[in-house]
Amino acid sequence: MKKLLKYGIGIVLLGAALYNSVYIKKLSSIRSASAKLDVNNYVDQLWKDRLPAKLDSAVDVSILKNALETGGSKAFDQYTNALAIGNYRYVLVKGTAIVDSVHEDDLLITIQSAQPFNATLQTEFVYGNTLRDASRLVDLAAFPNTSDLNSISEAMNERVRSQIASEWRPLLKPGVRFEFTGAIELNKEHLHFDTIEIIPVRIKISPDAGR
Amino acid sequence: MSGMSETTITYKQRIKSLQSLIALVVLCILLSVLTDKFFTTDNGLNILRQTAVNICVATGMTLVVLTAGIDLSVGSVLALCGAIAAGLLKNGWVFPSADLYIGFTIFGVLLAAIIAGGVLGWFNGFVITKFKVPPFVATLAMLTIARGLTMLYTKGQPISNLGAKFAFIGAGSFLGIPVPVWIALLVVLLAAFITKQTRLGRYIYAIGGNETAAKFSGINIPKVVIMVYALAGMMAAVGGIIVTSRLDSAQPNAGVSYELDAIAAVVIGGTSLSGGRGTVWGTVMGAIIIGVLNNGLVLLNVSPFWQQVVKGGVILLAVIIDKIGNKND
Repeated sequence: MKKLLKYGIGIVLLGAALYNSVYIKKLSSIRSASAKLDVNNYVDQLWKDRLPAKLDSAVDVSILKNALETGGSKAFDQYTNALAIGNYRYVLVKGTAIVDSVHEDDLLITIQSAQPFNATLQTEFVYGNTLRDASRLVDLAAFPNTSDLNSISEAMNERVRSQIASEWRPLLKPGVRFEFTGAIELNKEHLHFDTIEIIPVRIKISPDAGR
Repeated sequence: MSGMSETTITYKQRIKSLQSLIALVVLCILLSVLTDKFFTTDNGLNILRQTAVNICVATGMTLVVLTAGIDLSVGSVLALCGAIAAGLLKNGWVFPSADLYIGFTIFGVLLAAIIAGGVLGWFNGFVITKFKVPPFVATLAMLTIARGLTMLYTKGQPISNLGAKFAFIGAGSFLGIPVPVWIALLVVLLAAFITKQTRLGRYIYAIGGNETAAKFSGINIPKVVIMVYALAGMMAAVGGIIVTSRLDSAQPNAGVSYELDAIAAVVIGGTSLSGGRGTVWGTVMGAIIIGVLNNGLVLLNVSPFWQQVVKGGVILLAVIIDKIGNKND
């Protein structure tokens, strides 16, 4: 009787462990979900249909700066996107800025706010996953492999280089005032707002271009 | 006169049992004087986080060394179990003919990795006891086998992007303390309980102290040895889970030479390589000493080449002290 009870408890525990360990799905449904990704088509749709709304709701960079500098961790959770446990956070920001100087690969700008501060507008070295992750449009768990995710980032970055930067860069001369919306990466533990690098996604030159 | 002599022996024994702790305190004081970056909360937590994996692996190694054995395969077992956890989490099990996909939860992959570690350790123990293969050779073979299996399983490529929930195990914090430290503490408490409070623990010391006497007193030596190697494999698997989670990636070459760090922690912690003498807590001290030493040498900008020389010197010193202690006993 004692042995029976022992085995009974053992089987129940084993069953509970198994139940909580695995889940079963149809392979065909998994495979159709992970069929080969047409990156250009995917990013096309994302760029046209879903990104504009995200850009419209981007946070004002001055408001973000104040919130993060005073609100700490809570403000980071409220405004920024974290991929995993780590210090890097991504967010779409908007604001108005004036071009200070134009360099080969980027522009040094001053962001207009009660307390103006400097930033860099990237036009050439647009790499990494900042834009993809700041947009919060790509569910990383939905992609079975890293290369698809990297391809999406690369396609988005390429659009910034070939469409946004190349179109607006000739017009952004020192002294020109413009509105921007773009993606930034921040380090939660080492927050340096004076050295942020903005990846521009939307640029609008103010009618009264110039200081 | 005899009372005085007994007091001296007890005093000496106490000092000896605390020698790792004393060494750690002296090292900490020295490093605090040499660099102001050392004695900070952040740096302390950083050392503990970095040491947690070695504590897990070295705790298992302590059980093995207490039986007068050695396990050189822990680094490779760690890599294989980490890869199994990552592979199952990422890809699950696929059965095309049955149109079936079995996915694994976080709990499932942890369980699978620990079971895999246990099986590999069990195999080590089985070979050692059944075929009388010296532990050094049997586990050396497993070192190569497990590394090869890791390469086969991962196809030589890292398995990455394991998700935030899994990353919490290696990179998260609970009550301000890194999760790996909590895990290492659980492993140590389990091993300390086994060695101090269970029959298995007494058998481990008995086998390491005198195998022949243990055999004649009716201890089932093969069973105990197999259990000990299985436990060491499971603890290496826990280390593998932490490493994989922390890197958010299972690296096929993870854990290379971890067995040496584990053995170093065991030896510095005062466990005798001849078996039968030592404690799990001593090993924890040994692992922390190595962690503090690594951290301190980096903070002092000591060249990585000299760091290796210093670490080797400390291990040598610990073995010599152990030998002298044995002689005097």
